[in-house]
Amino acid sequence: MPATVIYIICSPRPQVGKTLLARLLTEFLLLKNGAVLAFDLNVREPSLLDYLPNVTETAEIDDTFGKMQLMDRIIADDGVAKVIDLGFHVFDEFFKMSEEIGFLKEAARRNVRPIVLFAADTDRVSARGHQTLVSQIPPSRLIVVDNEYVVRGELPEAFAMGRLLRISALPVFLKTYMDRLTFSFTDYLRHEKDSSAELHQWIRRSYFSFRELELSLILQSS
Amino acid sequence: MAKPAVIVVGADKGGVGKTTVSRTVLDYFSANNVPTRAFDTEAPRGTLKRFHPEITEIVDMTATADQMKIFDTLNTVSPSVTVIDVRAGLLSPALASLRDIGFLDAAKAGQITFAVFHILGPSIASLEEIAETANFMNGAKYFLVKNFINNTSFFEWDQSTYNSYFHRIKDATELTIPKLNEMAYEQVEVASVPFLKFVANKGTRDEAANYSFVLRGYVRHWLANVWSEFDRIKLTDIVGSKVAVRGGEK
Repeated sequence: MPATVIYIICSPRPQVGKTLLARLLTEFLLLKNGAVLAFDLNVREPSLLDYLPNVTETAEIDDTFGKMQLMDRIIADDGVAKVIDLGFHVFDEFFKMSEEIGFLKEAARRNVRPIVLFAADTDRVSARGHQTLVSQIPPSRLIVVDNEYVVRGELPEAFAMGRLLRISALPVFLKTYMDRLTFSFTDYLRHEKDSSAELHQWIRRSYFSFRELELSLILQSS
Repeated sequence: MAKPAVIVVGADKGGVGKTTVSRTVLDYFSANNVPTRAFDTEAPRGTLKRFHPEITEIVDMTATADQMKIFDTLNTVSPSVTVIDVRAGLLSPALASLRDIGFLDAAKAGQITFAVFHILGPSIASLEEIAETANFMNGAKYFLVKNFINNTSFFEWDQSTYNSYFHRIKDATELTIPKLNEMAYEQVEVASVPFLKFVANKGTRDEAANYSFVLRGYVRHWLANVWSEFDRIKLTDIVGSKVAVRGGEK
C-alpha cells in the first residue's frame, strides 16, 4: 500500500514563499487526489487558512497539548496527503521535538513518509536551519526550494548539494494578482483560455515539478 | 548461583522521585534481561507495586517477618537481584537495620553486592542525610542521584558545602536523572504501566494501547538518557549480570 505523505514546508526565515508553496502544493494535491489536509502553523496574515479554509486547520506547538494534537494526527496512515505550512517562529521547536520523539522512525513504522521542503534564503539563519535539517533528515527526504523571487541569483553551494525544487520568479503585478484571497491556481488553469499566458505557464510548471517529485518518491519506495 | 545483589533506593523526604528512579532501574534490568525482584516498603499503598506488580511485594521493613522474607532468601531464590524501594525518610533507619542483622558485614566481606541509590532533594537536609548514610557505606556502592524530574533546583546549594558532604563517602558516584515532560509523566501514571510498556504502546496485560505518540516519544527519549547514566556506572556489571541482547525501548 502506498505510504501517506506529509509535506513539511519550512524555513527559519519569514517572507521566503512558504505559504505560496503551501498553497500551490495543497491545490495540486487536491486536484490530483481529491483530498488533502493542510495545517497552518503560521502567524503571518494572510495565511494558508485564509486561502484554503475548507482543507486547512490551524495548529500550534507552543505546549505539549498542541504538539500532541498536531503530531498524533499527522502520523496516521489514512491515505490523505498532508501539507504543513510551518511558520518561521516554530522552525527550531518543531525539529527539536521531531528529533526527540523519534518522528521519522515512527513515521516509517506506520507507512507515513514525511518530506521536508526547505524554502532557502541566502543568509546565515537560513544556512544554520539547513544544517539542522541535514543532520536529521535523510537526503532523499529533504528538498531545498529555490524560489527565484527570494534567492535572486545563485543558491549558496551548501544548498545546491541535495535535491532541488525550483520556483521561478513572476512579475510583481502577477504576484499581486495571485495574492488575492479569492485566487485559486487550479481554477485559473481551468478558466484561463490562453495557455501561453505567463501565469498559466508558471502554475503548470509548478504542478509538473510536484508531479515529478511524487514520481521520484514512488520510484524510491519501489 | 550468582552472588546476590541488593539495591536500596531511598530519600530523606517524599516527592523527590525515589519510586520513579526505582521504576527506571526495574525497566533497565528488564530491558537487559536481568531477572529482578522488588520490595516496596510504602505499605499499604505500594506505588512501585502498581507499576511492576508481577515482581514486586509490599513489605514493612521494620517488621522482622518481612526482613526475613527479604534477606533470608537472598542466597536461596532466583532472581539474584533485589531492589528495595525504601519509604521516604527511612533510609538511615533501614540501613541501621541492615547493619544490625549483619547484612552490611556480609557486603563488606564480599558475600553480597550492595548498592544505595540516594535520591537527593533540594534542601540542606538531604545533604545531612548523606553524612548519616556515610556511616553505613563501607563495602557498599553509593550513588547520589540528582533527580530533575520534579524541576528541582540543586543550585541553592553552595558547591563547596555539597562537595564536603559528597566526599565523606569513598567512591561515591553522582547520577543525574533529567526532567521528563510533565504531561508524559502524568499519562504514564494514569496508564499504570512501566515506562518501557508505555513506550511500547502496551497496556497492563500487554494488550495494544493507544497512547499519544508524542508522549511515548518523550518518555523514550528520557528513558534513553536515564539508561545512559546506568550504562555509564555499569549497573549490570555491579549486580554481576552478563548482559544479553537489550530488548525493549523500541
